[in-house]
Amino acid sequence: MSDAAYRLERLLFNMDTLAELAEELTSPKDFHKIVRSSLYMIMGNFSASKGAIFQFDHDKKTAKPIASKGVGDINDFVIKLEKETIRGLVALKTPIDLSSNKKATSFLGVGKTDLEKIKARILVPLVVREDFLGLIAIGEKFSGEVYSKDDFRLLSVIAHHIAVSLHNQSLLRKLMGKYDENKKLYEDLSCIYYDTIHAFATAIDAKDAYTKGHSHRVSTYCAAIANEMKWSQDETEGIRIAGLLHDVGKIAIDKSIINKDSPLTNNEFVELNSHPAIGYEILSKVKFPWTGIPKMVRNHHERLDGKGYPDSLGSDEISLGAKIMTVADSFDAMTTDRPYRPALTIQRALAELKENCGRQFDRDVVMSFFSILRSEVGKEGKPTILPFLSERCVHELKNEPLKGFL
Amino acid sequence: MSGKIKNFKELEGCVVIYTDNYLNDIEGGKLEDECDVFLNGGKRKIVIDFANTDLVNSIGISILVGIMEKVKKRNGILFFSSLKKVNRDIFNILGLTKHISIFQTEEEAIGKMLAHE
Repeated sequence: MSDAAYRLERLLFNMDTLAELAEELTSPKDFHKIVRSSLYMIMGNFSASKGAIFQFDHDKKTAKPIASKGVGDINDFVIKLEKETIRGLVALKTPIDLSSNKKATSFLGVGKTDLEKIKARILVPLVVREDFLGLIAIGEKFSGEVYSKDDFRLLSVIAHHIAVSLHNQSLLRKLMGKYDENKKLYEDLSCIYYDTIHAFATAIDAKDAYTKGHSHRVSTYCAAIANEMKWSQDETEGIRIAGLLHDVGKIAIDKSIINKDSPLTNNEFVELNSHPAIGYEILSKVKFPWTGIPKMVRNHHERLDGKGYPDSLGSDEISLGAKIMTVADSFDAMTTDRPYRPALTIQRALAELKENCGRQFDRDVVMSFFSILRSEVGKEGKPTILPFLSERCVHELKNEPLKGFL
Repeated sequence: MSGKIKNFKELEGCVVIYTDNYLNDIEGGKLEDECDVFLNGGKRKIVIDFANTDLVNSIGISILVGIMEKVKKRNGILFFSSLKKVNRDIFNILGLTKHISIFQTEEEAIGKMLAHE
């Protein structure tokens, strides 16, 4: 091969290596695999049998290997780099021949002794915008040839590519750290948010000796019906929260009225029936991540025939969410003891829902509710409503056929 | 999968390893591991046959240099055979042909290897 042909072949081989390196560094592979491939490319390009790439830790002021070949197990190997050394490497930027005169490498200090342990011959600093990121260390060429000026130029180009990749990876790692931090913060805040709403619901129910757990049950029934009616996960979550807070207006109602076991006077009725409007006033000042919660709360005692309260709305004016809440709230009221009457049988409660379809309750909502009960009695899927019913209700449901209701 | 050993042949006193059609990514490191196994098992004479290998790039070279270094350390003998011109040229420009015996055919390499004391 003539000298010109040799130089051309060498040039083409170098260009191939650079092209492959660029492809590797931009590939979506695991970062450590990319660094390892890059090291193999450098070593192959210069036929070196020993080499390593080190990443610098700014806090510890040490460089640790992230890829190595031909130097044995160096996982515990750490190069200590003094401030002076780093300053020298950043200023130099170009590859350093460690076998050259001592003056040129004196700034390496103890680091040079460390590098001699792995028989490093050439050291290439990895620097991006004056930021020292690490080192490439490679040994002698297997052929015994010396590293030429062209080799040094090529090493500088390769090192720049790898340094940019290390820099990007470092930025990504920091970004991921921030993301994880924010995610945890969001999860913690979510927890506090839900805990607060649950505590609030418990406080609302605590006002009424007979309605312990009522808000939690209504919330669960609402979410189960919404889910059955194919609402999105987000919408279902919204109505679950609305269910927890649907009686928040009762906070403003006198306890003696709520717990009264004899018929209410007209004034007492008016006061008790104001709780949806009061609830709306309270909740409309809250910024919920879901829409329609205050309205659902305001309208949960409306009826399709316009005889409900507080606004005597017609069917078209009542949202589906409020219609769901009405069924859930009424079903729980009927199946639990009240100061003025004991709980109805489940058959009676279901009959009430069915008989009042079109007048008080929305037919689709009631049918969806029955469909859930049928599935749960038939042990299809994970039960959502049954665990909240009294033992007597569950017993009745399992022994009395639901045929008439479906 | 590149660099994977398709198969190998154990002769009396010598092993012939056949490489796959590409030797161009770090998966090819398995070739180096396989040679390690033979060297650790006491084999000192290894022929690597490249008849099926179309491409050896810089990564492949680093793997082969690693093998050459290991065989050298153990005073073994390593021959290459059936290298395509394009791959032989790469060995040449890297100055490796001065350090490894390359034969036209596997048979030629085995003959020389077995005759080697």
